Amino acid sequence: MSEPSPSHYGSALLAEPRVALTPGVLMAVLLHALVFGGALILPRYFDRAPPLRKPIIARLVALGKPRDPRLLPRAPSAPPPAPPSRSAPAPVAPLAPPAPSSRPSLAYKAPAAPAKPRAPTRSELMQRALAQVKGHAPSDSRDKPDPDRAGEATGSPSGTAESAEAGEKYYTEVHDAIQANYVVPSVISERERLYLSATVVAWIKADGSLLRHELQKKSGNHFFDEALELAVQRTRLPPPPPELARSLRDEGLALSFRP
Amino acid sequence: MKRGPLRALVFALLLSSSAALAERPVIDLSGARVQAYPIAVAKGLGDPQAASTVQTVLSQDFEHSGLFKLLDPASFLAKDGLTKIDYPAWSSVGAQGLVKLSCTAAVTCEFHLYDIGSAREILHGTYSATPAGLRQVAHRFGDDVIHYFTQEPGVLQTRIAYVRSTEVGKQIVVADADGYGPQAITGASINLLPAWTPDGTAIAFTTLRDGSGAHIYSVEVTSQRVRPLVLTGDFSSGPVYSPDGLKFTYSSGVDDNTDIYLAQADGSASRRLTDSRAIDVSATWSPDARRIAFISDRAGTPQVYTMLADGTQVKRLTFQGNYNQEPAWSPKGDLIAFSGRDEKRSFDIYTVNVETGKIARLTQNAGTNEKPAWSPNGRYIVYSSSRSGKRQLWVMNSDGTNQRQLTAEKVGASDPAWGPLGVAR
Repeated sequence: MSEPSPSHYGSALLAEPRVALTPGVLMAVLLHALVFGGALILPRYFDRAPPLRKPIIARLVALGKPRDPRLLPRAPSAPPPAPPSRSAPAPVAPLAPPAPSSRPSLAYKAPAAPAKPRAPTRSELMQRALAQVKGHAPSDSRDKPDPDRAGEATGSPSGTAESAEAGEKYYTEVHDAIQANYVVPSVISERERLYLSATVVAWIKADGSLLRHELQKKSGNHFFDEALELAVQRTRLPPPPPELARSLRDEGLALSFRP
Repeated sequence: MKRGPLRALVFALLLSSSAALAERPVIDLSGARVQAYPIAVAKGLGDPQAASTVQTVLSQDFEHSGLFKLLDPASFLAKDGLTKIDYPAWSSVGAQGLVKLSCTAAVTCEFHLYDIGSAREILHGTYSATPAGLRQVAHRFGDDVIHYFTQEPGVLQTRIAYVRSTEVGKQIVVADADGYGPQAITGASINLLPAWTPDGTAIAFTTLRDGSGAHIYSVEVTSQRVRPLVLTGDFSSGPVYSPDGLKFTYSSGVDDNTDIYLAQADGSASRRLTDSRAIDVSATWSPDARRIAFISDRAGTPQVYTMLADGTQVKRLTFQGNYNQEPAWSPKGDLIAFSGRDEKRSFDIYTVNVETGKIARLTQNAGTNEKPAWSPNGRYIVYSSSRSGKRQLWVMNSDGTNQRQLTAEKVGASDPAWGPLGVAR
């Protein structure tokens, strides 16, 4: 048998694939069209809002005078104590109108100046009077904030920030609830504290309870990691708004901790 | 037959694309509250007097450190020994750490530190001392415990020098870091601004002892032998040694111009570092010895400036306040503590971040607070305060928490200088 000439191989390679490749290319184009089309169209059929990647935490601005930047700073003072609870706490008014479920808005501006305080109702006045008779009412001096407290003239007596920030109500509540339990042991050296960071992912049920949690990124310090898990476990989270409920249950919420 | 894999591929691609779209929200949390670690120091075993002394000193050390929350011995339920530990009983009273100790009358003390959560011993040590050195035995184990947890040296065995005011003058005094056992090492003429040599053997200070104005002398801590270092200039004041101890800076007035000078450790080969018609004083070295911070009023008011150790590249660091003084560079290098006068004309302690210039206030509404000095591990600041009436020394954590009084001098105490680590006693 004689060997086939090189031109024989060449013609075979050139001729046959041309026929075989055409359906493959078509299929690839079709497949890509399907994938990209599906990626664009399918999310519209799911009742799920695109979650926020970076929730912005809102802070109430403290009532006070803006501090001259040329002066030495003052140590931040705590807001005056809240009056004793007279009844079940009223639901907190939303900072912004609820967004439509199909296209929720991203972070919105927290008002730098709260709305004009409403006049107390008749029942509230009665309850205050009763509390004063019982000696439970806070004195005027306790109501007054620190006169040197930095803030804005239009700020809130219970504000904790010196300037305005934009924010999102639910994530602010989650942030503040976890922050209240965010306690690290003093035996972690200050130097190490500067560089520690860890991430805990929490999956949250519709009623706000914790479905599960996972230490996604460890800090390398046993005391710190343990403190974070404790903080998440101890926190009673508020129920998420309907537009976030599914996302927080299925995808979870990442909590990125730094000391 | 060919459709099966194709369907699976399309499905997988669709799933991955929708998963990529669903990104998880992230909430950043910082500003954790720092809570002291609950620790129990069990009643000492062995010789009652020695064990009791060591237990008391160790308990005070833990309490003052700001790191530990000392549990009340009245709540202790466990009836166990030195090495056989009833972990559940200690856990039930809230202990996370437990110290057991035993001392002989001779005196030798054995210490054990247990982690209640993991039910195991994590540290132990045996130390001997004369009866007079019992406190040092407690400090030594306390430093070991602090080092175990923080990976930083403890300062319980260090000493603090300061100026004691008396009816007839001011003298340099050296006391333990907890204020115990103050001992005068100079007479009571006017002696001010002590500064330790880095090896802890001597203290340089400013004195009016020779009757010809303020000059710089040195006193050996053990022998109390005094010798002059700088006798030149209209006055010379405020010596501070470089971290290697080979040189020191000081302020001197020559021809009505006060500048920062640099001299060899024996006071020789002095040369001027700053060259300004303004007043330049209170130099302090960065821990790497490359930079010096000082106070200058060249911009109209006293402010903190930095420069390279050769006097070049002068930069203003503080721009808030109109009277900042007495800078002290942190051993960690990131902060400079200083005292500043606020708009109420009250002096308080602040820190400024060397890189960002951000100022943090550490004291407020508590008398006049001045002359901050860092502990050698950078965890604490000692300073003088008038909040309890007479001016006394106080100590606080470097973030301003855990403020407590250190001295109880009859007339007053001021100008603290924290001694170095690792000095043999």
